[in-house]
Amino acid sequence: MKDSLRRTLWISRVTFLEAVRQRFFAFLLVLSAAMVLSSVSLRVFDFGHGELKFIADFGFGGMFFFGSVLAVVMTAQLFFSEIDNKTALTLLAKPLSRPEFLLGKFFGAWAVLGVFVLVLAGLQGVVLWAREQELVAAAEQAGRIPTTFSIVGLCQLVLLQWLRLGVVIAIVLAISSLARTFLFTVVVGSLAVVAGQLQWIAQDAFLRPTDSPVYTAFLWVSTRLIPNLQQFNLADALVLGSAVVEEGALISVGFSGLAYLVAYLTLGSLIFRRREI
Amino acid sequence: MNYAISVRHLTKDFRIGIRGLKLRAVDDLSLEIPRGQVYGLLGPNGCGKSTTLKVVLGLVSATAGEISILGEPSATSAARRRTGFLPEAPYFHKFLTGRELVRYCAQLSGVAASELDAAVEDALGLAAMNEAAGRPIGTYSKGMLQRIGFAQAVVHDPELIILDEPTAGVDPVGSASIGRMIHAMRDKGKTVVLCSHLLGQVEQVCDRVAIMDRGKLVLEGAVEDVLSRRDRHVMTIEAMTPTARAAAEAALEAHGAKITSVTHPRRSLEDLFRELVTGSRDA
Amino acid sequence: MRRFAPWLLVGVLLLGAGTLAESSWLRIRPSIPEIGRKELEPTLGQGVLLGVLGGLRTVVADIAWIRSYVFWERRDRPGCEALMRTACALDPHSRYFWENTGLRIGLDMAHWEIRRRGGYAKVPAETQERLFRQYGRQGLDVLEEGMAYARNRTSLLLAAGFLAEGKLKDLRLAADYYRQAADAPDAPWYAARICADFDWGAGRKVEAYGWYRNYWETRMRSKQDGFPEDLIRLRTMETELRLGVLQRIPRQGWER
Repeated sequence: MKDSLRRTLWISRVTFLEAVRQRFFAFLLVLSAAMVLSSVSLRVFDFGHGELKFIADFGFGGMFFFGSVLAVVMTAQLFFSEIDNKTALTLLAKPLSRPEFLLGKFFGAWAVLGVFVLVLAGLQGVVLWAREQELVAAAEQAGRIPTTFSIVGLCQLVLLQWLRLGVVIAIVLAISSLARTFLFTVVVGSLAVVAGQLQWIAQDAFLRPTDSPVYTAFLWVSTRLIPNLQQFNLADALVLGSAVVEEGALISVGFSGLAYLVAYLTLGSLIFRRREI
Repeated sequence: MNYAISVRHLTKDFRIGIRGLKLRAVDDLSLEIPRGQVYGLLGPNGCGKSTTLKVVLGLVSATAGEISILGEPSATSAARRRTGFLPEAPYFHKFLTGRELVRYCAQLSGVAASELDAAVEDALGLAAMNEAAGRPIGTYSKGMLQRIGFAQAVVHDPELIILDEPTAGVDPVGSASIGRMIHAMRDKGKTVVLCSHLLGQVEQVCDRVAIMDRGKLVLEGAVEDVLSRRDRHVMTIEAMTPTARAAAEAALEAHGAKITSVTHPRRSLEDLFRELVTGSRDA
Repeated sequence: MRRFAPWLLVGVLLLGAGTLAESSWLRIRPSIPEIGRKELEPTLGQGVLLGVLGGLRTVVADIAWIRSYVFWERRDRPGCEALMRTACALDPHSRYFWENTGLRIGLDMAHWEIRRRGGYAKVPAETQERLFRQYGRQGLDVLEEGMAYARNRTSLLLAAGFLAEGKLKDLRLAADYYRQAADAPDAPWYAARICADFDWGAGRKVEAYGWYRNYWETRMRSKQDGFPEDLIRLRTMETELRLGVLQRIPRQGWER
């Protein structure tokens, strides 16, 4: 068991080193950081949302969108580069099992996304804090109640977004295990992310009563197979306090995310074991 | 006898296209590779040699047949732990240095932490890559890539080493160097299985060969046995005059033998090249 | 059976994950009011999808709002209303969108409908009144809906009171809205007076005076200059109600 963990760790280490060297990662990180920083100057478009909300929405929107793009494209690239360059041949000829290889890829990619989320959240936190100080001072002068943001909420959001991206990586690896080409994986992976973000429609429909057993069965299957990624989008509630989120609910979301992660990694490992390299 | 690799009635079919048509890449192949020898697996492109190696290494599953490596079923971790592999046209992560790559492969192959440094340096020394080991692999030439690939294949001191086209694209000096490394492994009691199109080199390096064609085994045996024409002899004669030649022909005809041709011996272009080019251009 | 065991395990894991996700979604759902709203359906193909998917909702809401101006210029009621409601749906916590949507519907669209039907000279007065009331009611409904989501209700209450009085001609309803606005911590200085005036105009004179007096004594007398205009209005009410000296507000030091 210890040896297995070590091998997985070494694969993930090299995967991480390979990923952070990619220009694509640097490009998306810089682009997202630019979005976070530019949100302050773009607040002239704020139609009274509450300035902090506009800044937060702009920044977290970048994290969500570019994070998803990075998760899909980078994971597929990290997998297929090993297959196409035949480094997978060299590695899998060693006493390294296929699940260990896949898990190593997963943890390496997840670590990179962790860095991505952390850097952006840190930057976002600094921007929000700086603007919050100005708004608090102005509100105190005008005798108004100032709007503030929650650092604890920001930390909770970082964990949730990281977990969401982990689920996306696990799905993309499962698709990669079956797919023959990088392009197919990226297209299907992107569709899977969109399906995950819209899965709440099926979820809401399933919870409403219906007469058709076939329709109900279809909804039941789709709400189980496709993870509901929308449940991780709690930026407003956690960071800006627009709604109260109970601790138990957050833990429940976390567990469901982990469960999907494990399920898709297991599926990917099973498919990859049968793949001919 | 305990064989390094034992292949019994191996068949491998690939499904191609939407209709799932079968392409038979290996057809009822049976082969036994003895331990402690250099074994060449030859054949034209598409004959099934690489597929056979991949099945042996567990990278591809067999449609039918049994394969064992050093007495263990081939698809197990235990078998792979005792095997080293260098694929055709090896590609490694360019950002890793040679030493980091060999170390990484040693860790994956189960070399103990206490022996890691020594094993890495030994493997680099065997491959004559000590000086270049600190450079990123992206700066290596073709020959250096092959040598560092060889180092990663042997770092964990495997009993069986499988090399797929180890000298493809390498100059004659580099090829000779790889040939010496192969013989060094054999002299240590390792078994080396070599897949190559370069017949001249196989002839020099290998002890036994197997020739495949269209998925089937066509010929198998010791190099000396398969290449020798026992019905003919070659004699090298110095300072032969026309008189001496006539006397020799007459003497042989008296015993029922016949001289069919008289030519001057040639050395190979490769030998001439090696004589003229000194040292490796790679270091 | 052994061959299928790993696949069964995957199936069980997915089912378990889905069941967990369903229960967590039920608990999380109220925290994300921006999604699942019918208002988004007509405009989902217009770049609103990005906002629905998650992230950048505020930006997409802003873009939808700005686009609604184009339809407002053209007096295109369906297009304007759809985009305004989209903006509200994407950012339901913003009182700006709710307030302006309610006021545009309540104040402008009846006039657009009258013009569409031929103009003020052609459309009978009763029909005009009916249209003002109809759209005023629709505007009020939007404002009421906004009050459930927006963090700051005060301006929505003021706008609702404005519509109730101006379009529905319902002074009692308008007074109720102004009363709620006056009770808010950030109430404007005029809210209480307008509430009292509307209650007075609706015939609830005693109740209007009682509430207004209590409001002035508890929240206004000790603030700033003591709000003398409100006291003057209260004195007028006392005179009209013919209250005795002891029933009136005691004379203030600065009164002549």
